[in-house]
Amino acid sequence: MTAPTAMTRDRLAAFVDGALSPEEAAAVVMHLADHPADQAYVDDLFAANAALARAFAAPLSEPVPPAIRAVLAEPAHEPAPEPTPEATPGAAILPFPSAHARRLPALAGGLGLAAGLALALYLVQPAPPAALAVGPLTADSPLGTALESLPSGVPLAAASGRETVILSTLPTATGPCREVESLDRAARRIDLALACRDPQGLWQIEVVLAETLPVEASPASPEDGFIAAEGASVLDLSAHLDQRGAGLALSPEAEAALIARGWAE
Amino acid sequence: MSDLFRQDLVALVPRLRRFAYGLTGNRQDGDDLVQAACEKALRNAAQFQPGTRMDSWMYRIIQTLWIDDRRRHMRHGPAIDPADVELSDEGKAANLPEDRMMLARTRAAMAALPEPQRAVLALVAIEGLSYREAAETLDIPVGTVMSRLSRAREALLPKLGLSQGPRQ
Repeated sequence: MTAPTAMTRDRLAAFVDGALSPEEAAAVVMHLADHPADQAYVDDLFAANAALARAFAAPLSEPVPPAIRAVLAEPAHEPAPEPTPEATPGAAILPFPSAHARRLPALAGGLGLAAGLALALYLVQPAPPAALAVGPLTADSPLGTALESLPSGVPLAAASGRETVILSTLPTATGPCREVESLDRAARRIDLALACRDPQGLWQIEVVLAETLPVEASPASPEDGFIAAEGASVLDLSAHLDQRGAGLALSPEAEAALIARGWAE
Repeated sequence: MSDLFRQDLVALVPRLRRFAYGLTGNRQDGDDLVQAACEKALRNAAQFQPGTRMDSWMYRIIQTLWIDDRRRHMRHGPAIDPADVELSDEGKAANLPEDRMMLARTRAAMAALPEPQRAVLALVAIEGLSYREAAETLDIPVGTVMSRLSRAREALLPKLGLSQGPRQ
């Protein structure tokens, strides 16, 4: 890391933090092309922001602790809004393209093994609205924009109650793919999707795995159910990634560099 | 107080816990802080201006309570639980050992920052607030947000083990 030249570190930081106008940001991008040291600093800033977001992200994927829930609970005379466990059975929704349908038995087996969880598994097509859905994304859609430009680990602006974050970027035989996780806290539903970029630069959601979280784990181990459920999802996407010849997830630096040069190899 | 206020507050809790975790460096302290902030928010719900950003309002309450708490206890740095630094994400965010190490280094580096810098960095880099929003939340000028960010990164970046080229 050497000191930036004409461009101050504050300005480069403002670029990374999204604090510049589009015109100012464009000027920084032009500058970076000719100043590798500044580019390296920008890469570090992106990587540091992503590392910070991930280092403290654990609360986002956990149930709210009972003590905080108790503070926020409705007064006793009002009906409790908490859903009952019976009302939200576990589910995995797998609207696979037909070419991948043959992988289903293996997936079902994997989920069963991940259990102790009593996750019911069944197919629903099409996927319910407001969730991630298989299909192309337009470049100007929020998710399409995020996939093109946002580092992994940085939450997207919340839309319709869903908390969405890109988990990783992986090179595959047919181009870059990214894992996306979207949590609907109210519905206790978590979607894990694989989105891949085609040669025209458009992102397409290839696979969506969805699970409904168990409503209440035992107070002694409030996170057990969730971790296991997520583990099952990651396992499933791995199978799909293997099929695409995916490599290891890119480091934050490599990912930031790839995004900065517009996904050009 | 309206049900909507309560609902909006409930929806914010995960992000408030993340912010408080970053601020305190400790899961339990963070949750205690969020709990106290929610109690205060419910007591003072009438002071919240509908139409303004509830997240900024809550971040401010959390930050104020934390500073008060630190003053009362005269603590000199966040109580970092070593086990927490090592494994608090329990593998959820980090799939590879080196990745977990990186996140542990990040938590330790964050905890080593002076309080005001940590709050600004948490709001901008983690919570995604704009410089102006962070300035309004902390009741400081935008220029101060930028200078604190700058100093925070000056201290933080060398500790993260970046700038080593792509590792795959």
